[in-house]
Amino acid sequence: MELISDRYPLIIVVGSGGVGKTTLAAAMAVLSAREGRDTLVMTFDPSLRLKQALGVGEEAKLQEVPVAFDAPGTLHASLLDARQTFDRLIERYAPDEASRRRVLENHFYQHMSGTLGGVLEYMAVERLFEVAGSGRYKQVILDTPPTRQALDFLEAPSRILGFLDSGALRVALRDWFDEEGRLKSTSRWGALGRRAERFLDDVVGMDLLRDMAEFFQAFAPLFEGFRERARQVEALLRSPQTLFVLVSGAGEERIPDTLFFARRLEEAGYHLGPVVVNRVHPRFVIEGAPPPSADLCRPTGWELLSWAGERDRKGLIELAKLFSREQPLVDVPLLADEPIDLPSLEALGRTLEERLAAWQRYVSRSS
Amino acid sequence: MNPIEQLSRRQLVVVTGKGGVGKTAIAATLGRSLAAAGRRTLVVEVDPRENVHQMLGVPPSGGAIVQAESRLWVQNLKPRQVLDEVVRERLKLELLARRVLDSPVYHHFAAGAPGLKELATLGHALRLLRGLGAPGTPDLDTIVLDAPATGHGVSLLAAPRLVSEVITSGPFSVMSSELAALVGDAEKCGIVVVTQAEEMPVEEALELRQALRDRVQRDPELLVVNGLYPPAPHQVPGERENELVALWRRRRALNERELARLKTGWQGPRIELPQLPLDRGPALLAALSRCFGESARRHLGVGEGEGAWS
Repeated sequence: MELISDRYPLIIVVGSGGVGKTTLAAAMAVLSAREGRDTLVMTFDPSLRLKQALGVGEEAKLQEVPVAFDAPGTLHASLLDARQTFDRLIERYAPDEASRRRVLENHFYQHMSGTLGGVLEYMAVERLFEVAGSGRYKQVILDTPPTRQALDFLEAPSRILGFLDSGALRVALRDWFDEEGRLKSTSRWGALGRRAERFLDDVVGMDLLRDMAEFFQAFAPLFEGFRERARQVEALLRSPQTLFVLVSGAGEERIPDTLFFARRLEEAGYHLGPVVVNRVHPRFVIEGAPPPSADLCRPTGWELLSWAGERDRKGLIELAKLFSREQPLVDVPLLADEPIDLPSLEALGRTLEERLAAWQRYVSRSS
Repeated sequence: MNPIEQLSRRQLVVVTGKGGVGKTAIAATLGRSLAAAGRRTLVVEVDPRENVHQMLGVPPSGGAIVQAESRLWVQNLKPRQVLDEVVRERLKLELLARRVLDSPVYHHFAAGAPGLKELATLGHALRLLRGLGAPGTPDLDTIVLDAPATGHGVSLLAAPRLVSEVITSGPFSVMSSELAALVGDAEKCGIVVVTQAEEMPVEEALELRQALRDRVQRDPELLVVNGLYPPAPHQVPGERENELVALWRRRRALNERELARLKTGWQGPRIELPQLPLDRGPALLAALSRCFGESARRHLGVGEGEGAWS
């Protein structure tokens, strides 16, 4: 199978935190531009070194920034930022200036828009949709949030849809408060109503309820656009032209994580491409190795690296047993130095392609 | 008093750091050492997949408190479960509780409300420490909380303050203020940051400390640098080098570079731990405990024979 090709205009890189997703996403993007496609890489939290390698800074949070790369295709990079995207979204869907201001200035919105569960994840797909629809790029590569449950972001559109369709919103949108900021229904109920109000105040706090109600009221004109968008985003993720690359850490300990991701992707109806076991320690032929260290806390590099090579090999074998033969599974070796510039990123992209070709040869030979 | 002794007097020790740096192993090491020093200790892991039991060689907790050693217990905590329990307890009537728990409104609220899961997690720890846990809960002196990875670790520690600013009256407000006081009180709550001497983990550790200063107004007690390669042999000029040694030398050089950067940005108590050729399990835990004690003596001046840390 070919990974970087015209067949998959959208590639989404998923996996646990700390496995090297971001670097691999950048490597694929550099290779794609080299091969002549106008390419965009969208990432969350690149290392300083990677930002330097791509030559982008904070400005990439606001817009896609061109990377100075002399190749047949152009290369752009963009950094995802939940709050900025959320604000932009509101600007877009607010029917008028007054409703826009009402949302942006709402106390509740200001407190929650950065912290609300799933918002960051949703904003990633939202932003993705924006660029995918623009037609500016032949290839988009999306790196996903560095959480252990990175699949949250895939569920974000359906969660937002679920929320919009659930009773929660109807309840929230009801006209709860009167002009004086008192609960309407309870003031009608007299003494009983006042007790109910006191109860609510005790449990949640009336100020918060008022802020929340106001937020939902202010947000209401935006919902329809939001709902439609969430549906389209979902369709985009499930499209057969959208390919998921699952990156895994090396070693047996990481196998449960990898299986968990693969299963969730398949269950959700997404198209799983290659599983990439990254930073696999090489196995060394050891001749004349010094004896193991007598000090438990000071093992020699010989002991460590031959142990790690063996551990990673076992992990790969175990993983291969757990997947079907048709599942592309490749290992990318641990590099002595992490890529620090565009040529070394391109080299990493090529290694990935070569490992994939080797897998292909192995499968066709043995069948 | 050295930082290790200080930590051993805390009621709550929060262990945080970037994913994949060995946070869980360090939480287990701390838990074991506290227990050996005579503190009745519970290690709480907040992760949908359980790991800490493997280190201690006990069956998975499945949400229950499982005894691992004479004064050491472990528990895997699902914040959602804790929330559901709170609802049951408040509403008393099972029928009413069921209706709330089944309603989509609650479902979305529990999944999305900012700070709620964090409050539930810390609230759970506080209740256990006050002896208000479910019947059969052991009496505890200390809880070691293996917090979610960095970004979430800050949210965990900052949530009580955030919530107490938004909610200004009622029981939620009381609870969040209590928890904010606990987290902000260096006498009661210790914070341990785990990292590795590689670029991203170091970057995150430095950012985490700044975020703690900004949002919780305090510093961590201890920084643990995990997984260091041993010093490599000197390169002989002109001699073709074995590939293994070449890789070793480059990884060690990276460690040294990042360690230097870390030392410039973070002048506080620090423990350094070697990478060990051992799979996750009791043998690794025993080795880590020993190397931890050794580093404490070397880097923090903890004397010989001082309790569990020696």
